[in-house]
Amino acid sequence: MKIPEYFRKMRGTTRGSPPRVSNAEIVWSGIGGFLGIAIVAWMDHLFFAGTDLTLLFGPFGASAVLVYGAVRSPLAQPRNLVGGHVVSAIVGVACWKLFHQYPWLAQAMAVAGAIALMHATRTLHPPGGATALIAVIGSAGIHDLGFWYVLVPATLGPVILLAVAVVVNNIPASRRYPEIWF
Amino acid sequence: MDDTSSKNLKTDSAGDEVPELELTDADILDAMQHIPGYLDITTEDFRAIYHLAHHHAAGRLFGKIRAANLMRTGIEPLLPDMPLDQAARALVKSGYKALPVVDTTGRVTGMLTETDFLRRLKVDTFLELLLSMLDDTFELKHRCHETPVSEAMTAPAVTVAGDAGFSEIIRAFRQHDGRGIPVVDGDGRLLGMLLRKDFITAYHLEPLQ
Repeated sequence: MKIPEYFRKMRGTTRGSPPRVSNAEIVWSGIGGFLGIAIVAWMDHLFFAGTDLTLLFGPFGASAVLVYGAVRSPLAQPRNLVGGHVVSAIVGVACWKLFHQYPWLAQAMAVAGAIALMHATRTLHPPGGATALIAVIGSAGIHDLGFWYVLVPATLGPVILLAVAVVVNNIPASRRYPEIWF
Repeated sequence: MDDTSSKNLKTDSAGDEVPELELTDADILDAMQHIPGYLDITTEDFRAIYHLAHHHAAGRLFGKIRAANLMRTGIEPLLPDMPLDQAARALVKSGYKALPVVDTTGRVTGMLTETDFLRRLKVDTFLELLLSMLDDTFELKHRCHETPVSEAMTAPAVTVAGDAGFSEIIRAFRQHDGRGIPVVDGDGRLLGMLLRKDFITAYHLEPLQ
């Protein structure tokens, strides 16, 4: 490849990003995000407060953007939502256990491994990268969970978000969820 | 990415180009606006998918259409020195509206159609022929008996090769009004006849089934 061509590629291929969505779409995205996180937070408070486990963590904020804000996206479908978090959590915990003497290596391997494994299992879900990273950079409490981390929060949380998405996203006539279950 | 996609398109279409509409960014953005909800796809991605899918669909619809697959074989062609009345009988027997005329090596030299007969008999329509027959049956018969096929036929004939595809066949049919086109090999020798109705049937039914 010639050098000018290499730099020309950096200009992008198209003008015009996808158009702004309708106001109704914005409202429903907000309602979905509110209910999804509210229910996960409420259940965390109800069942896991005072235990070593936590049901709520940062990556679910990112998942909420996808499953309530980009309903049709392949990245937001159930297989990706649940599968992406589970696969990434397994990779993250394994990387912590294997490489925790070298934090930088464990962190990089967790995210890289999560991306690769999500691709290989067709469960690519961007928040999964955060799930894998938190397994490594999280508190001592997270580290002590070991593979419990895969079940709570990494499986249970997305399942609750999914249930809310199926209920809420199908209320407006213009929306449907999911496009594909598996 | 551009390189590989254009290569794929060429092999898929097998040299038989089906015209395709070039979409502008505005077209795609307009279409996206009609779909409620956020689409996480760029206009360029959409265009790439559109092009590849179009070629796939075009290949499925038109790819199997080759003159050799649709032609009728076992045609008994006419010879240039055959008298017209004999040729008329051969035409009637064949059931076709026109027959190819071939030389001794089998090369197609022309087509003899019903219209050629009318022209030879100095009329334009069959009705006109009927009226003139009432007047002078003997002379008409005589005229056909003396004339060889080579003088009456339309030459050169519009032909297609066996591997001609959809657009080539369409082009050939557009060149003349006939209902059949001789299919020939590389040397111009007759392989069979491609009837317009067979072509239309194949073109219409394959996508529906």
